[in-house]
Amino acid sequence: MSDTVWKKSMADVNDGILVATEKPHPTYFLTWALSIVMVLAGFGMWGYMILHGIGPVAGLTSPVYWGVFITDFVFWVGIGHAGTLISAILFLFRAKWRNAVNRSAEAMTIFAVITAGLFPLIHVGRVWLAAYWMVPLPNTNNLWVNFRSPLVWDVFAISTYLTVSLLFWYMGLVPDLATQRDRTKGIRRLLYGFMSFGWRGTAKQWLHYEAGYGFLAALATPLVLSVHSIVSWDFAMSIQPGWHTTIFPPYFVAGAILSGCAMVYTLLIPIRYMFKLEDFITEDHLEACIKLTLLTSTIVAYAYGMEFFVAWYSGNEYEWAIFEKRAIGPYSFYFWTMTICNCVFPLVFWAKRFRRSIPVAFVVCFLVNIGMWFERYNIIVSSLVEDFVPGSWGHYQPGIGEIVMTFFSFGWFFFWFLIFCRYFPLVSLSELKLIMPKPNRHKHSSH
Amino acid sequence: MSTQSGVLAVYKYLDDLTHAMEKVRSKAGFEDYEVFSPTSYHEIEHAAGFTDSPVKWFTLTGALTGMFTGFGLCLATDYDWPLVVGGKTAGIYSLPAYVVIGFELTILLGAICTIIGMLVCCKIPNPKTQILDTRFTDDRFGIFVPNVGTDSEQAKVLRELGAEEIHAVKGA
Repeated sequence: MSDTVWKKSMADVNDGILVATEKPHPTYFLTWALSIVMVLAGFGMWGYMILHGIGPVAGLTSPVYWGVFITDFVFWVGIGHAGTLISAILFLFRAKWRNAVNRSAEAMTIFAVITAGLFPLIHVGRVWLAAYWMVPLPNTNNLWVNFRSPLVWDVFAISTYLTVSLLFWYMGLVPDLATQRDRTKGIRRLLYGFMSFGWRGTAKQWLHYEAGYGFLAALATPLVLSVHSIVSWDFAMSIQPGWHTTIFPPYFVAGAILSGCAMVYTLLIPIRYMFKLEDFITEDHLEACIKLTLLTSTIVAYAYGMEFFVAWYSGNEYEWAIFEKRAIGPYSFYFWTMTICNCVFPLVFWAKRFRRSIPVAFVVCFLVNIGMWFERYNIIVSSLVEDFVPGSWGHYQPGIGEIVMTFFSFGWFFFWFLIFCRYFPLVSLSELKLIMPKPNRHKHSSH
Repeated sequence: MSTQSGVLAVYKYLDDLTHAMEKVRSKAGFEDYEVFSPTSYHEIEHAAGFTDSPVKWFTLTGALTGMFTGFGLCLATDYDWPLVVGGKTAGIYSLPAYVVIGFELTILLGAICTIIGMLVCCKIPNPKTQILDTRFTDDRFGIFVPNVGTDSEQAKVLRELGAEEIHAVKGA
């Protein structure tokens, strides 16, 4: 990506990015208002479920007690993966294109993980009892949480991921908040000054900052891979046919990165337009994101195929029965939506023409988001409806509460994300300056 | 921290700055000089002759503390209320089941301590920070030499080494 042709120089970065965030396109306010409506509807529904129980509005009943709420949870955790992947793993690989998109991807991660974190709470109904199984706190019988349970591992994994992503993101923001402090006056200057900790940008500060950033990236890299592996163990550690398989961790991680990259692209296109960032988030950067989407899509396609192969080759009839029903049974619509959206549509990205065509890539990424949601739905529901005992087989249909809460999650996510876009530098100013041509007097400096 | 007085040289070009830094680094009168930059160019680190940052020791301490806390937490609850599985007697502690908690806390405390280390080494948060020039977070570089005036030898050297502007900074 070092051959990106820049229409701007380092001196244009602050003005180009910060002035644009002050006057967003009207569509920004429209989207924001829409998200508020969705959030209000969601809180109304959540309140109803707390008062009356989730039974009347959710389709959850025997044998399916994990339905759309857990699907939403896994979906949003997955979305949250690309942010730290882009900021940590691509940082360690020195992929320069990340510098243009990492800030918005990290913000996406944080708000997605916060959104995901709401769903186990919504799902259990009686939220006020959550403390007993969320934190190591002995209950009235002096029993501790079971540290052998993948659900407890998940609590640790998600909260660690949220904390580390938040620290990583804020650390990157510090020099940029100092930039905003130096550009504003009055109360805003005071606020940005407070938030930037009094950063001065001395050579010594940059040395420690860079060292700290490198270590955080090194710590976050195994964390990214571990979080969705642990989410996958929520399923794979059980003996449920269709879940109990060793390929789940890499399969989930690849899926998470696929959905995350597709979501980054889906978000970048409108915000690039709303805030006029076309000269800084260039088509080369967008294409790099699409290449990552294509790569992970092929890994996911391989995993889908391998899942069937393992089910057949194992000779386990219960396992094979589930997979047969996924493909041609009553829930086959979800299976084929997932397969076509995640594995077939992204194939157009083998052609450079389509990788660089923003409308085509946007539509495909949007479809991948839908496909990834159905992937989780397919895994969770189709395994639960029919297990070893035919007498307990059942059917699952999402209720109105579950549908409203799914839309609520999108509203909630966009509500926070759009606030962030407006008041914080949407592109990492200091890191963007780093990938632009160096401000040297002599063009072939030997340093 | 009271603010410092001194002389401030503003540079437009990175190569001018690093060239100036290399020249003044070992000169008398430049012992406490400070360099300002809008972003983290490695050229500046080389020109300043920095060695490794001590942040790594914070990371290591945090990560090890986290690892022992994670395993310790699981083992302590296991000791307090044994969960007898697979017919094994209480008092047999299996570590593999606790690897995930140990790993997560290693990362968590490692990351938190890295941030603490970065803040300590950078001497921030500092509410009384002295902002010498707002352009240092935009597109200009600077060298600040404390406790000298614009007519000093230091100011003359910096001007000869390509400084765009030379300012006097008043302390308080």
